[in-house]
Amino acid sequence: MVPLSWYLVLAFMLIGLGGYGMMVKRNLIRILIGAEIMGNGVMIALVAIALYSPVFSFTGQGLIILVISVAAAHTALAMVLMLMYNRRYGSVDLGKPVEMEGQ
Amino acid sequence: MQGFDPALFEQLEFLLIAGIVLVLAYLALEHKEIVYAAFFFGFMASFVAGFFLLLEAPFIAGMQIAVYTGGISTLIIFASLLLPRAQDSTLETFATPRARQISLVVAVVVTVMTGFLAVIFPWAESFSEAFVSISQDLNGLAHWLWFENGIYVQMIALIMITALVGAITLLRMDKAEQLSSITGVFGVEAEPKTTEEATINDDEHAADDSTGVDE
Amino acid sequence: MMQTSRLFLDFIPVLVWALLAVALVIIMLLASWVLRPHVLQNSEKTSSYECGEEPVGPARISYPYNYFVYSVLFVVIDVMGAFLWLLSSSNLLWSNATKYEVVWQVIVFIFIVMGGVGFVLKMIPRSFLDGKETVDIYRRAKAEREQKQYPAGGH
Repeated sequence: MVPLSWYLVLAFMLIGLGGYGMMVKRNLIRILIGAEIMGNGVMIALVAIALYSPVFSFTGQGLIILVISVAAAHTALAMVLMLMYNRRYGSVDLGKPVEMEGQ
Repeated sequence: MQGFDPALFEQLEFLLIAGIVLVLAYLALEHKEIVYAAFFFGFMASFVAGFFLLLEAPFIAGMQIAVYTGGISTLIIFASLLLPRAQDSTLETFATPRARQISLVVAVVVTVMTGFLAVIFPWAESFSEAFVSISQDLNGLAHWLWFENGIYVQMIALIMITALVGAITLLRMDKAEQLSSITGVFGVEAEPKTTEEATINDDEHAADDSTGVDE
Repeated sequence: MMQTSRLFLDFIPVLVWALLAVALVIIMLLASWVLRPHVLQNSEKTSSYECGEEPVGPARISYPYNYFVYSVLFVVIDVMGAFLWLLSSSNLLWSNATKYEVVWQVIVFIFIVMGGVGFVLKMIPRSFLDGKETVDIYRRAKAEREQKQYPAGGH
């Protein structure tokens, strides 16, 4: 079998990529994509640790089901909030409120 | 299958899918067009399901494809079609270079701390792969979720209701104002011109131009 | 190592099929590149084909987002379907030990989610559905545009 550390390194790279996208991008949709990539990395790590743990239990896989469901809910709500943001500020730029305040 | 090593094949498959997933995640973050980025994110989510197949979790793989590739990337693509200003390249520039540097530093710190957890922390000693017990038992998973922890399912239903009610309440607020997006920068082109009007307008413009030249 | 039958070994045909699909696309693109005549490419040739009409304006317009709530509804139904899919792939509702407890949870779950969906369908304003306001806005925008063009035309 593939060693556990391979999965952990992959999850670490995905989380790093997602964190980079969340911090360095300013487009709100791009930030959401970065957050979803981070979530995917976390799910891979969780399923891998649940499989490789000495005591078998279904807790890992069950938690992943709940995580995917909550991810769907928060993405739906984030998208609606993004539409509201676009209506209010005319753009999906993250720094738009600060700019408008400075003027 | 004789003459065929499943372990080696598994490692090759892991490396192949890992490479594809990392390239697609990078493209989803760095591609210039946000719609293509959303498509790359959907592809990435469906390749992550391959890892769940490698990790003996068939239902998680199916749910990943059904919810992430089917639902979440649909939401992102739909919203990026509804927001044409999201393609604006000026959105990606920071006000000052200093803000970008601070963000980069924070991202590097988060990555280094995650890397410490993933690489240096002794996971491999704690979890020996000699004791891996493989179970592809959907019955046990359903028993865990629906019978032992049935309250989680009802909590998920309530979270779903929260998302739905929040969405409809936000969308109902000043719905007249939300229609103003049609008259926005690119909005008026949405109305197809009838041919008569187009020709009349073009003739007017042509006449206007010709008189301008004559004068 | 307890090496039972691994799951990914069942999916080797899928992998072969995926590689064949990618190879087929590459071969077809290469073959068409080899076989087609390489003539001069200009803007007339590369523009999108619209029958007799010249394409005007960008294709990325702002669609009215009345229908976004339907995609949210789809995602909610999707998650509910995944939960019921897990239930239907087990024998929880057949075995006597579990069926009396689980069936009430299923009923309550579907009742809550469907109640939310029904509430949303009830709360959607009628103008989201018939599109009258959208048409009004279009007409007003068009009238404004014509009013702007008349002074420019010198009438």
